[in-house]
Amino acid sequence: MGTQSRREMLFNALYGVGGMTLAAQMPGGGIFATPALADTFVDPLAPKAPHFPAKVKSVIWLHMQGAPSTLDLYDHKPELIRLAGQEVPPSFLSGVKTSTQGGVGKLFASNRTWKQYGESGAWFSDLVPNIAQHADKLTFIKSSTTIGATHDISILKLNTGDLRPGRPSLGAWVTYALGSANHDLPAYVVLYSGKREPRSGSVNWNSGFLPAVYQGVPFRSGASPILNLSHPELMGLQEQRDDLDLLRRLNAQDAAEHPENTELQARLRSYELAYRMEGAAPEAVDLAKEPDAIKSLYGLDDPASKDYGTTLLRARRLVERNVRFIQVVSGELEAASNSEARDWDAHEDLEKNHGAHAKAVDKPVAGLLTDLKQRGLLDTTLVVWTSEFGRTSYGQSGNGRDHNPWGYTQWLAGGGVKAGTTFGETDEIGLQAQGKKVDTYDLHATVLQQLGLDHLRTIYMHDGRAERPTVVYGAVVEELLA
Amino acid sequence: MKKSLKRTFLCVLLGLSTAGALAEDKPLDGDAKAPSRSRLPYAWQPLQRPAVPSVKQADWVRAPIDAFVLAKIEANGLTPAPEADRATFIRRATLDVWGLIPSPEEVAAFVNDASPDAYEKLVDRLLASPRYGERQARRWLDLARYADSTGFQNDPTRPNMWRYRDYVINSFNEDKPYAQFIKEQLAGDEIAPGNQSIMVATGFLAGYPDNYNSRDLVDRKYQIATDITDTVGQAMLGTTVGCARCHDHKFDKFSQKDYFSLQAFFANTSEAMKLPAAEGDVEREYKKEQAKYQEATKDIRAQRKAILEPIRAEAEKYHKERYLTDSRESIFKAKDEWTPFDRWINHRLENVTTDNDLSQYLRDIAENKENPAYKPENEAKWAEYKKLSEELKKFDRLKPAKGSDTFTSMTELGPESPPTYVFFGGNHEKPLDEVQPAFPVALTDEKPVIAPSATSSGRRTALANWIASPSNPLTARVYVNRVWNEYFDKGIVATVSDFGKGGERPTNPELLDYLATSFIDSGWDIKKLHRQILLSSVYRQSSAHRDNVRAADPDNKLLAVFPAKRLDAEEIRDSLLVASGKLVDKVGGPSVFPPVPSNLNAGNMWQVSKDPQDFNRRSIYVFTRRSVPYPLLEPFDMANAQQVHSKRDVTTTPLQALTLLNNDVVYEWSQALAGRIIREGGNDPSAEIDRLYEILFARAPTDSEKSLLLGFLVSHERVIKEKAADGKFAIAVPIGFKSSEPLDPIRAAVLVDLVHVVVNSNDFAYRF
Repeated sequence: MGTQSRREMLFNALYGVGGMTLAAQMPGGGIFATPALADTFVDPLAPKAPHFPAKVKSVIWLHMQGAPSTLDLYDHKPELIRLAGQEVPPSFLSGVKTSTQGGVGKLFASNRTWKQYGESGAWFSDLVPNIAQHADKLTFIKSSTTIGATHDISILKLNTGDLRPGRPSLGAWVTYALGSANHDLPAYVVLYSGKREPRSGSVNWNSGFLPAVYQGVPFRSGASPILNLSHPELMGLQEQRDDLDLLRRLNAQDAAEHPENTELQARLRSYELAYRMEGAAPEAVDLAKEPDAIKSLYGLDDPASKDYGTTLLRARRLVERNVRFIQVVSGELEAASNSEARDWDAHEDLEKNHGAHAKAVDKPVAGLLTDLKQRGLLDTTLVVWTSEFGRTSYGQSGNGRDHNPWGYTQWLAGGGVKAGTTFGETDEIGLQAQGKKVDTYDLHATVLQQLGLDHLRTIYMHDGRAERPTVVYGAVVEELLA
Repeated sequence: MKKSLKRTFLCVLLGLSTAGALAEDKPLDGDAKAPSRSRLPYAWQPLQRPAVPSVKQADWVRAPIDAFVLAKIEANGLTPAPEADRATFIRRATLDVWGLIPSPEEVAAFVNDASPDAYEKLVDRLLASPRYGERQARRWLDLARYADSTGFQNDPTRPNMWRYRDYVINSFNEDKPYAQFIKEQLAGDEIAPGNQSIMVATGFLAGYPDNYNSRDLVDRKYQIATDITDTVGQAMLGTTVGCARCHDHKFDKFSQKDYFSLQAFFANTSEAMKLPAAEGDVEREYKKEQAKYQEATKDIRAQRKAILEPIRAEAEKYHKERYLTDSRESIFKAKDEWTPFDRWINHRLENVTTDNDLSQYLRDIAENKENPAYKPENEAKWAEYKKLSEELKKFDRLKPAKGSDTFTSMTELGPESPPTYVFFGGNHEKPLDEVQPAFPVALTDEKPVIAPSATSSGRRTALANWIASPSNPLTARVYVNRVWNEYFDKGIVATVSDFGKGGERPTNPELLDYLATSFIDSGWDIKKLHRQILLSSVYRQSSAHRDNVRAADPDNKLLAVFPAKRLDAEEIRDSLLVASGKLVDKVGGPSVFPPVPSNLNAGNMWQVSKDPQDFNRRSIYVFTRRSVPYPLLEPFDMANAQQVHSKRDVTTTPLQALTLLNNDVVYEWSQALAGRIIREGGNDPSAEIDRLYEILFARAPTDSEKSLLLGFLVSHERVIKEKAADGKFAIAVPIGFKSSEPLDPIRAAVLVDLVHVVVNSNDFAYRF
């Protein structure tokens, strides 16, 4: 505890915003600004108290990019199998604005076998046998809905709550509202599998109108995960230490001349932090000391799941190091298509596409849940399986499925959620959500709630407007919470 | 901020929902309900020239603005700060006007200039340089959410946007009156049809983030109009009109009807992205490169065409069918039945349809057995087509790497506009009443005078005339406040893009109105506005700390000391280029791609320029890829190109430190700067340190700095020697150093590190 408070004191002095001394004058006012804070040093990443006790400390946001067909993973529809090959009965299409590539296809059932698992008896297809073992840890949302028919627009909405770019991502809001719990690492990290950075890139982990300090930091594969983390090729480590000592002394002279300018002091300290991050970040992603059994748990011993498994093992290590928000984007796979590397976007040959993708993520996701549980971290972590939308019950190109924003499945696992339950449902063919629907805004409100944040009170003043993460929508889905 | 903070407190305290709390919030001065214009926010009321106040310390007043500032300082029992010394002043002014540090020669000339008009000469020299336009343009481009790509998933290049960027630079350099500047950006195509140099100004409107893949063209039309309306509202009028899109404005007298009436001015606005550009060097070079590519790929393209051509009609139909239901209504309508709305949708379709889209039909009839046109023999054609496409890709490196032979302009497709409706909750699928173009009723009684031409509705010209009119209460106030904000780190209205009730109150309303009225009276002369500020006593003050001022005015609202400020992202990079002697000082032209860290992983989104000259251009010329912000600038709070960026934040983070400390390019600049100081300092340690300080800080080092640095030269030698002892001898030596005397590599490497540390120091990153 003693170290803890020394640490906190240090944290409180580490960063500066705008050369101002009042929390009230942080850009946007600072949500937790109180008169008591006046005149103390402002650290935009200082840990802040939540609105109410948090259920979890970290979030792992598993974005399945390209939109998996949850109809072929979790949402078992015997009626769809029965009607496969027939036209969609018109009653199912009411209220739906379809796009057609050669007309709404006939209802399509892929070649799946289905089984119930666990005490909850949740259905899983043969594509996800390992995740199925965790049936009783999962809280399904089977009435997920969203807006949009194009990936990037709906991905933007999934991450930022708007169809147009410019709003802060959920992770940025979390970082803004809660600060960092480990200043040696970024508080908000983006991990991705595949050969390249996710398409449309930083806009999905952007801080929008929040200060840039709250944006996600993409971790790249390899030993040095952050851009410019390693010292220049021609500079040795000891050499840099010596340089930094000189810098500290130079800057200290400056700072002494401008005692009012806390920004200068913050800048002085930011170099010490940078130096520590040079050591802490590579260590955080270095899997060398992980035992083989753990590596195998995440599927690192199988080429099909090695890449994604590596990102999830890194994610666990980041959770252990108190990183608040870890956004994991699944990438493209060569094995998912005949022509080019592809994400989950199976407009054609769903069998091949989902076969490859499920194989890539099934074991790692299951491994993550096992590993978090055995380390006692699952209770303080929220794992979210999410995608920009789902896929249609009717087929496309004969053996694929089109985009479906009207009804699809997502799930939560971890602290404070009703494990082993299912909320909501789609219609009998799995096309449209029925009853109470869960939009991205509701999901955001619920995730924030688990972090101890009331989405209505998480406010940032921007251009005269009180902005919140859920724009003007959203409600916590109480039914999901324990 | 106090007001908004109070609101926030209230919400937190009472646990109210934000929306509820905000809706019930009463403005502090109690002017809640009255509709009369006298009850509107201060800045919405008509402009009047205020009387210049009388002050005690009259000899401090160089210009009327000094009197306005001094009156407030005196009213608070304070006195203004002493003058900054000349070296500090010229570094400050050069950074503010050019975004660059001055050369030691420029500093010396000014410091030693005994003539009575030394300051005037300096300021006039700064304002006459094209570097002024580059700096001012960057600030305007922040507001224009400028980018060289569309954003969204594929984020393709917009090959013509640099022409708009150059238009902005040139406009500032020509000192184009502000009224004309904004008119051209809103309606250049209507004001000067056929005139490329004016039409490109509408790039201000055309910069909206876009998604060419969208299957919902009706939604796209609405999103584009929304982006344009909100951008104009914030950038030019300083009002958050966007708030009224979904509901009547919570604080301001903006109804949803006002909002959509404003959007109606853009209902017929459409993008023309392939207008042939007048031929200059860039276009000739582009065409030459393009011709090489065309020649090299002639056969492949002909073969592809031969496969696609026989099925083109079916492929087009197939492609059109992929759009959503309501888009398809317009798309499949016979051309002679098109409404203005249908015309817009079809023009959009034409803009975004490519042969690649059409080839998808071929794939379907080759692979999808459910497609009635499916034939097994199509498989071979599709395979061949794919093979040819792969072949073609190999020639991508022959494509012109930059530039274009076209220009982009917003235009209209005819004199009649599609209708505009109020949308319930901002949802375009729930139209309510139709509205006509109109100005916000709270701001003016004026009605738009709309004169359609044969090809255009004339709506935007009408809007431009109103926004650029001297009677518009906001336009001049908003702009002079932005300029003030650039110099003093805080606007007179701190919320520079919100002059409504939700925003901050002006700290000195008389000063704001004086600046605005004199700006209009000068014929909207922007350089005069800058000159006035640069030559004022307010701007000449020292930034040295003053205890009593700090105690009385902790937020420095009175400006009784000059506010020190961290350099902007671009200022840091560009000044390092100046210091290292590497800056390629060329104005305008296509955007460039300097090197980026190898693990950025951006693939073909960032193909480093072939020409090394491109590496060292000013930051304003660096390509703005919406999905891949330039990593050297991004950590330093560069503008976010997704929406209007009103004000640069200043945050301090370890990622900034890592960038300046570890980035290979920055380290190379330090090597070059080390070479320069050896060259110019004559291989004498003390003289080299002096020179370094002159270059970076426009001053000599203090005694304690000097002794610290000389000490480092000695002690660091041991560290370098130890490193060199590993046998690899990989140490960084100065670049660009030519001397008859051979250089001791160890000492040289020590000097590089010294330079690199000083580059990283606070003194460099700030202007005082």
